[in-house]
Amino acid sequence: MDFSEVELTAEQQAFEKELRDLLDTNWTPDYAHISLDHDRAPDAVRTGMVERGWIHPHFAPDAGGAGLGEIEQQIISSLFEEFYMASPGGNDLLIPTLDKHGSEWLKANVLPGLRTGELSTCLGYSEPDSGSDMAAAKTRAVRDGDMWTINGQKMWTTGAHHADYVFLLARTGPIEEKHRTLTMFLVPMNLPGVQATPIWILGGGRTNVTFYTDVEVSDDYRIGGVNDGWSVMSTPLATEHGAGVVTEGVTPVNGSMGQSFSRTFAKLIDGAIDWAASRKDAEGRSRLEDPLVRMALAEAMLDLEMCWNAAGELGKPMAAEALATNADRLADMAAPEGILDFGVDGKIAAGIIASQRLHSPGTAIYGGTTEIYRNNLARRLGLPRPY
Amino acid sequence: MTTTLRRNDYTLSDEQDQLVAMLRSLFSEKSPISVVRDAEPLGFDAQLWATVRDNGLLTISVPAEAGGDGGGLIELVLTGIEIGRTAAPVPLLDHVVALRTLARLKDEGVELAEGSWESALAGETILSLAPISSWELGAELVPSGALAKSVLAFKDGSVILMTREGLAEQAPNEGCTPVAWWDPTDASVSVTTLLSGDQAAELWELTRREWRIATAASLVGILAMAGEIARAYSVERQAFGVRIAQFQAISHDLVDMHMDELTSRNMTLKAAWLTEHEPDFRPELAAMAMAQATRSVLRSTAKAVHVHGGMGITLEADISLFYRKAAAWALVGGGTRRDLEEISKAVDRRAIERTRWHETHELAKR
Repeated sequence: MDFSEVELTAEQQAFEKELRDLLDTNWTPDYAHISLDHDRAPDAVRTGMVERGWIHPHFAPDAGGAGLGEIEQQIISSLFEEFYMASPGGNDLLIPTLDKHGSEWLKANVLPGLRTGELSTCLGYSEPDSGSDMAAAKTRAVRDGDMWTINGQKMWTTGAHHADYVFLLARTGPIEEKHRTLTMFLVPMNLPGVQATPIWILGGGRTNVTFYTDVEVSDDYRIGGVNDGWSVMSTPLATEHGAGVVTEGVTPVNGSMGQSFSRTFAKLIDGAIDWAASRKDAEGRSRLEDPLVRMALAEAMLDLEMCWNAAGELGKPMAAEALATNADRLADMAAPEGILDFGVDGKIAAGIIASQRLHSPGTAIYGGTTEIYRNNLARRLGLPRPY
Repeated sequence: MTTTLRRNDYTLSDEQDQLVAMLRSLFSEKSPISVVRDAEPLGFDAQLWATVRDNGLLTISVPAEAGGDGGGLIELVLTGIEIGRTAAPVPLLDHVVALRTLARLKDEGVELAEGSWESALAGETILSLAPISSWELGAELVPSGALAKSVLAFKDGSVILMTREGLAEQAPNEGCTPVAWWDPTDASVSVTTLLSGDQAAELWELTRREWRIATAASLVGILAMAGEIARAYSVERQAFGVRIAQFQAISHDLVDMHMDELTSRNMTLKAAWLTEHEPDFRPELAAMAMAQATRSVLRSTAKAVHVHGGMGITLEADISLFYRKAAAWALVGGGTRRDLEEISKAVDRRAIERTRWHETHELAKR
């Protein structure tokens, strides 16, 4: 057990300074730019990080990274938080899968760019008629020699408008056979027949619906065996869900999505504290001295600490629900101004409370609903499959 | 600004794992639910008290200089969890927290009554403390107050020790926990002032923190056992031809109970480690652990009762016993309102950090 402060080495301090300078030069902190994974860092910052191997800093320098450790990764998260900037995006979820299942051609031609982060990806799992029940996917890939023809559409392809590839789940046999007739592809987004149309969501974020019309793609872009898609997809899915997070070192135990929601939640509290510190009651007392305001903020801080202590897969449902509950709580605490969004006179902390309240329902849905997470967790507790 | 990072490692050492195994086997053997029931309504079993004493559990977290084994708060938390798992009817946690504070006072040169330390360390007399005495005037309900010969409290800026000849009468309660009213102005209570001034306030603050952490640990144990009992029932009990755990309305509640247990456990361990190693860093963590464990144990034991359907509300069901203990153990320290008051001081600390952020950074216009 150890919760002590990490003493940074001279190299780590220099790393922090270099990153801080990169952010300082290219970015002004923006409360609106924390919309979870719907925004990404500006190109100047991304490029600077790609050049330095910092998109996946833990990879070896000859594998697109910088050979850095857990501490540097946490410095990156911490500075992005301090600068109110969305993450640069990475391909962590897919690289291990491509390493294991990718064709030689993909490994030679695409993987290096994914490793440096120069190339980016989006996830093509959900469809109009299937979300959490991914094995019901209808998008079809039909083989003709070395080529596949893909037809169908995918929903919630977040980032598709700037991604180079989509990690696509396709049907390659009778639909009645559910997860046994699925195959994974890495489809270039610039192929004829691929089209991304925006879907605007609560809180102003953008995701997409992507259409695939007679898209011709070579067999080189297949990942794993034909009809092995379900097992190929299981690793990145588990990683996204935060399974297998180790409770050592400096990485928060709260798994991947839970961690990003908790960081957003922390900013929500900071915005509410900024509001309380800037307002006075009729007697001229700071709102920070108002016992009811203090109680609401204390409860929010308690919930945040709880989220940081939720390990692995527990982190996502807990952080998603705590974010929603507390966005309501803090909007209410700061009522009526709590409803004012970005750009409006009298808004609170640049509108962060209202915007995060709008955003919060999505966090309990995307990447797997909280119900799906609870089903997974129930199975880990040894409980039987749902009736 | 520069970044500070902290380690985030909850793993137990091999020795701590061994301690847990020893405690698990000791309490499951010596404190089965029949012992807990037989100890009601007082909530004390003298034989079990002798057993925990003989196994060295009273001295495990007492400093070596004071005659203890030199263990720390983590060991006390691990003990507390096992006590909670069996709802063991012994006032071990209150007693040890009081011993730790008395050891600090002894270390400061404070004189205690002749022989009183030795008899407390040997478990011949029981000590407790009055966790809400800094808020309340006059009499207050004291945990383990019906068993204690002496009770530590904080009154008018001083740490005091209240001592009485006979035992105070238990204030009857559904949880059958040995609480009793103690009043420093009561003629049968003698009061000694042990420490005054800033030092006294500091010592009391630390005492309160340790008591919150130890008590939160016992609630973690209740959470763990309530979860185990409810899960076992849910895979056994059939309705509509299936095991009731197959209904998501049931299994999702069981998952939520598990989340309550794990977050409460992690927060308690983290608060214990930091209180011991860096008491000035985030002093609100002990109150957070206690508040989290309290709200968790209240809602989760209620869910555990509900999973049992009608059986859950019968007095003979094991789960109803844990439901009764949950509130009694969790609320005797004054409830989450007082924890939140403590946590709200962290709001002021964060407001100062926010000022520093605004001095360092410009903000994009929106």
